[in-house]
Amino acid sequence: MKWATRRHCHVDRAACAWLIQRFIDPAPQFVFVDDPDEVPDDATPFDMRGVDLGHRGGSCSFESFLRRYDFDEPALRDIGRIVHEADIGDERYDAPEAPGLDVLIRGASLVARDDTELLGLTGPLFDGLYEFFRRSHPREQPST
Amino acid sequence: MQAQWVTLVYRLPREPSTPRITLWRKLRRLGVAQVIDGVAALPLDSRNREQLEWLADEVIDAGGDASLWISTPATAAQERALAASMAERIAEEYRTIVRDAEGALGAGEGERRRTLARLRRELRRIGSRDYFPPREREQARAAVEGLAERVVEVAR
Repeated sequence: MKWATRRHCHVDRAACAWLIQRFIDPAPQFVFVDDPDEVPDDATPFDMRGVDLGHRGGSCSFESFLRRYDFDEPALRDIGRIVHEADIGDERYDAPEAPGLDVLIRGASLVARDDTELLGLTGPLFDGLYEFFRRSHPREQPST
Repeated sequence: MQAQWVTLVYRLPREPSTPRITLWRKLRRLGVAQVIDGVAALPLDSRNREQLEWLADEVIDAGGDASLWISTPATAAQERALAASMAERIAEEYRTIVRDAEGALGAGEGERRRTLARLRRELRRIGSRDYFPPREREQARAAVEGLAERVVEVAR
Protein backbone atom coordinates (compact mmCIF):
# COMPACT_ATOMS: atom_id res chain seq x y z
CA MET A 1 0.00 0.00 0.00
CA LYS A 2 0.98 3.62 -0.46
CA TRP A 3 1.12 5.99 2.50
CA ALA A 4 1.70 9.70 2.20
CA THR A 5 2.90 12.21 4.74
CA ARG A 6 4.80 15.47 4.96
CA ARG A 7 8.52 15.65 4.35
CA HIS A 8 11.01 16.14 7.23
CA CYS A 9 9.56 13.59 9.62
CA HIS A 10 9.74 14.08 13.34
CA VAL A 11 8.57 11.97 16.26
CA ASP A 12 4.86 11.60 15.42
CA ARG A 13 5.39 10.66 11.77
CA ALA A 14 8.33 8.39 12.63
CA ALA A 15 6.15 6.59 15.18
CA CYS A 16 3.24 6.27 12.71
CA ALA A 17 5.54 4.88 10.01
CA TRP A 18 6.87 2.30 12.47
CA LEU A 19 3.34 1.30 13.49
CA ILE A 20 2.27 0.96 9.85
CA GLN A 21 5.20 -1.25 8.92
CA ARG A 22 5.06 -3.40 12.03
CA PHE A 23 1.31 -3.89 12.47
CA ILE A 24 -0.63 -2.76 9.42
CA ASP A 25 1.30 -3.17 6.19
CA PRO A 26 4.54 -5.19 6.15
CA ALA A 27 5.64 -3.75 2.80
CA PRO A 28 4.55 -0.11 2.90
CA GLN A 29 5.54 2.42 0.29
CA PHE A 30 5.98 5.86 1.83
CA VAL A 31 5.58 9.03 -0.21
CA PHE A 32 6.85 12.29 1.28
CA VAL A 33 5.25 15.50 0.05
CA ASP A 34 5.62 19.22 0.62
CA ASP A 35 2.01 20.13 -0.05
CA PRO A 36 -1.28 18.28 0.62
CA ASP A 37 -2.10 18.65 -3.10
CA GLU A 38 0.82 16.35 -3.94
CA VAL A 39 -0.67 13.31 -2.18
CA PRO A 40 -1.20 10.62 -4.85
CA ASP A 41 -4.82 9.46 -5.27
CA ASP A 42 -4.00 5.89 -4.30
CA ALA A 43 -2.13 6.81 -1.10
CA THR A 44 -3.45 7.00 2.46
CA PRO A 45 -2.37 10.31 3.98
CA PHE A 46 -1.34 10.52 7.64
CA ASP A 47 -0.15 13.22 10.01
CA MET A 48 -1.28 15.96 7.63
CA ARG A 49 -3.81 18.71 8.00
CA GLY A 50 -7.43 17.75 7.59
CA VAL A 51 -6.94 13.96 7.32
CA ASP A 52 -8.46 11.29 9.57
CA LEU A 53 -5.08 9.93 10.60
CA GLY A 54 -3.91 13.31 11.86
CA HIS A 55 -4.25 15.33 15.02
CA ARG A 56 -7.79 14.80 16.26
CA GLY A 57 -9.44 16.23 19.34
CA GLY A 58 -6.16 16.99 21.07
CA SER A 59 -4.58 13.65 20.16
CA CYS A 60 -1.47 13.17 18.05
CA SER A 61 -1.56 11.18 14.79
CA PHE A 62 -0.07 8.06 16.39
CA GLU A 63 -2.99 8.01 18.83
CA SER A 64 -5.40 8.47 15.91
CA PHE A 65 -3.86 5.34 14.32
CA LEU A 66 -4.34 3.36 17.57
CA ARG A 67 -7.99 4.38 17.66
CA ARG A 68 -8.68 3.88 13.97
CA TYR A 69 -7.17 0.36 13.95
CA ASP A 70 -8.46 -0.62 17.42
CA PHE A 71 -5.00 -1.26 18.81
CA ASP A 72 -5.42 -1.33 22.56
CA GLU A 73 -2.32 -3.22 23.64
CA PRO A 74 -0.91 -1.58 26.78
CA ALA A 75 2.62 -1.34 25.33
CA LEU A 76 1.31 0.58 22.31
CA ARG A 77 -0.67 2.89 24.57
CA ASP A 78 2.53 3.55 26.51
CA ILE A 79 4.30 4.53 23.30
CA GLY A 80 1.27 6.66 22.42
CA ARG A 81 1.65 8.65 25.63
CA ILE A 82 5.34 9.25 24.98
CA VAL A 83 4.78 10.30 21.37
CA HIS A 84 1.93 12.57 22.47
CA GLU A 85 4.14 14.39 24.97
CA ALA A 86 7.15 14.51 22.63
CA ASP A 87 4.99 15.92 19.83
CA ILE A 88 2.38 18.06 21.58
CA GLY A 89 3.85 18.45 25.08
CA ASP A 90 0.62 19.57 26.73
CA GLU A 91 1.35 17.49 29.86
CA ARG A 92 -1.81 15.49 29.47
CA TYR A 93 0.31 12.45 30.33
CA ASP A 94 3.21 11.81 32.64
CA ALA A 95 5.83 10.69 30.11
CA PRO A 96 9.35 11.42 31.37
CA GLU A 97 10.74 9.52 28.35
CA ALA A 98 9.33 12.10 25.93
CA PRO A 99 12.12 14.73 26.01
CA GLY A 100 14.70 11.95 25.52
CA LEU A 101 12.89 10.46 22.53
CA ASP A 102 12.45 13.94 21.07
CA VAL A 103 16.20 14.60 21.22
CA LEU A 104 17.12 11.19 19.80
CA ILE A 105 14.86 11.64 16.78
CA ARG A 106 15.89 15.26 16.22
CA GLY A 107 19.50 14.08 16.28
CA ALA A 108 18.76 11.24 13.86
CA SER A 109 17.12 13.70 11.47
CA LEU A 110 20.36 15.71 11.44
CA VAL A 111 22.46 12.77 10.22
CA ALA A 112 19.94 11.04 7.94
CA ARG A 113 20.13 12.06 4.28
CA ASP A 114 16.38 11.84 3.72
CA ASP A 115 13.16 10.66 5.31
CA THR A 116 13.58 7.08 4.13
CA GLU A 117 16.97 6.87 5.82
CA LEU A 118 15.56 8.58 8.92
CA LEU A 119 12.77 5.99 9.24
CA GLY A 120 15.42 3.30 8.90
CA LEU A 121 17.14 4.75 11.96
CA THR A 122 14.04 5.40 14.06
CA GLY A 123 12.28 2.06 13.37
CA PRO A 124 14.63 0.05 15.62
CA LEU A 125 14.22 2.67 18.38
CA PHE A 126 10.47 2.04 18.42
CA ASP A 127 11.05 -1.74 18.20
CA GLY A 128 13.09 -1.41 21.37
CA LEU A 129 10.56 0.81 23.13
CA TYR A 130 7.78 -1.61 22.24
CA GLU A 131 9.74 -4.59 23.58
CA PHE A 132 10.63 -2.69 26.74
CA PHE A 133 7.03 -1.77 27.52
CA ARG A 134 5.74 -5.20 26.57
CA ARG A 135 7.95 -6.70 29.25
CA SER A 136 6.85 -4.10 31.78
CA HIS A 137 3.25 -5.33 31.66
CA PRO A 138 2.29 -8.55 33.40
CA ARG A 139 1.53 -11.31 30.95
CA GLU A 140 -2.01 -12.55 30.83
CA GLN A 141 -2.37 -15.66 32.97
CA PRO A 142 -3.21 -18.78 30.96
CA SER A 143 -6.71 -19.89 31.89
CA THR A 144 -6.87 -23.15 33.78
CA MET B 1 17.99 40.89 6.29
CA GLN B 2 14.97 39.97 8.41
CA ALA B 3 14.16 36.34 9.11
CA GLN B 4 11.02 34.50 8.09
CA TRP B 5 8.15 33.99 10.48
CA VAL B 6 5.27 31.57 10.35
CA THR B 7 2.15 33.57 11.04
CA LEU B 8 -1.29 32.40 12.09
CA VAL B 9 -4.14 34.74 11.21
CA TYR B 10 -7.30 33.67 13.00
CA ARG B 11 -10.71 34.62 14.21
CA LEU B 12 -12.82 32.59 16.60
CA PRO B 13 -16.47 33.15 17.51
CA ARG B 14 -16.84 34.97 20.86
CA GLU B 15 -18.99 32.11 22.17
CA PRO B 16 -18.47 29.38 23.24
CA SER B 17 -15.43 30.58 25.15
CA THR B 18 -13.78 27.18 25.71
CA PRO B 19 -12.09 26.96 22.26
CA ARG B 20 -10.85 30.54 22.69
CA ILE B 21 -9.29 29.74 26.03
CA THR B 22 -7.79 26.47 24.75
CA LEU B 23 -6.28 28.27 21.78
CA TRP B 24 -4.92 31.06 23.98
CA ARG B 25 -3.24 28.50 26.27
CA LYS B 26 -1.70 26.65 23.35
CA LEU B 27 -0.39 29.83 21.74
CA ARG B 28 1.08 30.86 25.06
CA ARG B 29 2.77 27.49 25.52
CA LEU B 30 4.37 27.88 22.08
CA GLY B 31 5.58 31.35 23.07
CA VAL B 32 4.08 33.18 20.07
CA ALA B 33 4.47 36.87 19.45
CA GLN B 34 0.91 38.21 19.49
CA VAL B 35 1.42 40.77 16.74
CA ILE B 36 -2.08 42.09 17.13
CA ASP B 37 -5.41 40.56 18.12
CA GLY B 38 -5.89 37.52 15.85
CA VAL B 39 -2.34 37.49 14.47
CA ALA B 40 0.27 35.26 16.13
CA ALA B 41 3.80 34.67 14.85
CA LEU B 42 6.75 32.37 15.54
CA PRO B 43 10.22 32.20 13.99
CA LEU B 44 9.92 29.83 11.01
CA ASP B 45 11.10 26.29 11.49
CA SER B 46 9.46 22.98 10.67
CA ARG B 47 8.26 22.37 14.24
CA ASN B 48 6.71 25.82 14.67
CA ARG B 49 5.11 25.65 11.28
CA GLU B 50 3.60 22.27 12.07
CA GLN B 51 2.32 23.38 15.48
CA LEU B 52 0.57 26.41 13.98
CA GLU B 53 -0.85 24.26 11.16
CA TRP B 54 -2.57 22.05 13.71
CA LEU B 55 -3.87 25.10 15.58
CA ALA B 56 -5.26 26.55 12.34
CA ASP B 57 -7.20 23.31 11.88
CA GLU B 58 -8.51 23.50 15.43
CA VAL B 59 -9.73 27.05 14.87
CA ILE B 60 -11.56 25.97 11.71
CA ASP B 61 -13.03 22.91 13.48
CA ALA B 62 -14.32 25.27 16.19
CA GLY B 63 -16.20 27.30 13.59
CA GLY B 64 -13.63 30.06 13.15
CA ASP B 65 -11.44 31.25 10.28
CA ALA B 66 -7.72 30.68 10.11
CA SER B 67 -4.93 30.85 7.57
CA LEU B 68 -1.19 30.38 7.76
CA TRP B 69 1.36 32.68 6.19
CA ILE B 70 5.11 32.74 5.83
CA SER B 71 6.05 36.36 6.31
CA THR B 72 9.01 38.67 6.73
CA PRO B 73 8.93 41.87 8.80
CA ALA B 74 9.43 44.73 6.37
CA THR B 75 12.00 46.50 8.53
CA ALA B 76 14.70 45.38 10.95
CA ALA B 77 13.22 47.70 13.58
CA GLN B 78 9.89 45.93 13.36
CA GLU B 79 11.56 42.57 13.83
CA ARG B 80 13.61 43.88 16.78
CA ALA B 81 10.43 45.10 18.45
CA LEU B 82 8.80 41.70 18.00
CA ALA B 83 11.84 39.89 19.39
CA ALA B 84 12.15 42.33 22.28
CA SER B 85 8.55 41.84 23.36
CA MET B 86 9.00 38.05 23.25
CA ALA B 87 12.27 38.24 25.20
CA GLU B 88 10.75 40.51 27.84
CA ARG B 89 7.88 38.10 28.49
CA ILE B 90 10.31 35.17 28.78
CA ALA B 91 12.61 37.22 31.03
CA GLU B 92 9.72 37.70 33.45
CA GLU B 93 9.27 33.94 33.61
CA TYR B 94 12.99 33.48 34.36
CA ARG B 95 12.81 36.13 37.10
CA THR B 96 10.01 34.14 38.76
CA ILE B 97 12.31 31.07 38.69
CA VAL B 98 15.11 33.04 40.38
CA ARG B 99 12.73 34.29 43.09
CA ASP B 100 11.35 30.80 43.77
CA ALA B 101 14.81 29.20 43.81
CA GLU B 102 16.20 31.77 46.22
CA GLY B 103 13.08 31.59 48.35
CA ALA B 104 13.46 27.81 48.71
CA LEU B 105 17.06 27.97 49.99
CA GLY B 106 15.85 28.55 53.54
CA ALA B 107 12.97 26.06 53.38
CA GLY B 108 12.88 22.60 54.89
CA GLU B 109 14.68 19.72 53.16
CA GLY B 110 11.59 18.15 51.58
CA GLU B 111 10.30 21.51 50.39
CA ARG B 112 13.68 22.33 48.83
CA ARG B 113 13.76 19.03 46.98
CA ARG B 114 10.22 19.45 45.63
CA THR B 115 10.89 23.01 44.56
CA LEU B 116 14.06 21.94 42.76
CA ALA B 117 12.18 19.29 40.77
CA ARG B 118 9.43 21.77 39.88
CA LEU B 119 11.82 24.53 38.83
CA ARG B 120 13.81 22.15 36.61
CA ARG B 121 10.58 21.19 34.84
CA GLU B 122 9.68 24.87 34.54
CA LEU B 123 13.09 25.69 33.06
CA ARG B 124 12.65 22.99 30.42
CA ARG B 125 9.19 24.31 29.57
CA ILE B 126 10.39 27.90 29.28
CA GLY B 127 13.43 26.82 27.25
CA SER B 128 11.19 25.25 24.61
CA ARG B 129 9.59 28.64 23.85
CA ASP B 130 12.62 30.87 24.40
CA TYR B 131 13.59 32.07 20.93
CA PHE B 132 15.59 35.15 21.93
CA PRO B 133 17.26 34.17 25.21
CA PRO B 134 17.55 37.16 27.55
CA ARG B 135 20.37 37.36 30.10
CA GLU B 136 17.89 36.29 32.79
CA ARG B 137 18.19 32.78 31.40
CA GLU B 138 21.67 32.31 32.84
CA GLN B 139 20.58 33.84 36.13
CA ALA B 140 17.67 31.40 36.35
CA ARG B 141 19.88 28.42 35.54
CA ALA B 142 22.45 29.52 38.12
CA ALA B 143 19.76 29.99 40.78
CA VAL B 144 18.35 26.50 40.17
CA GLU B 145 21.83 24.94 40.23
CA GLY B 146 22.50 26.81 43.48
CA LEU B 147 19.40 25.22 44.95
CA ALA B 148 20.52 21.81 43.62
CA GLU B 149 23.87 22.14 45.40
CA ARG B 150 22.09 22.84 48.66
CA VAL B 151 19.90 19.77 48.19
CA VAL B 152 22.95 17.57 47.48
CA GLU B 153 24.89 18.97 50.47
CA VAL B 154 22.11 17.92 52.81
CA ALA B 155 21.95 14.46 51.28
CA ARG B 156 25.70 13.87 51.85
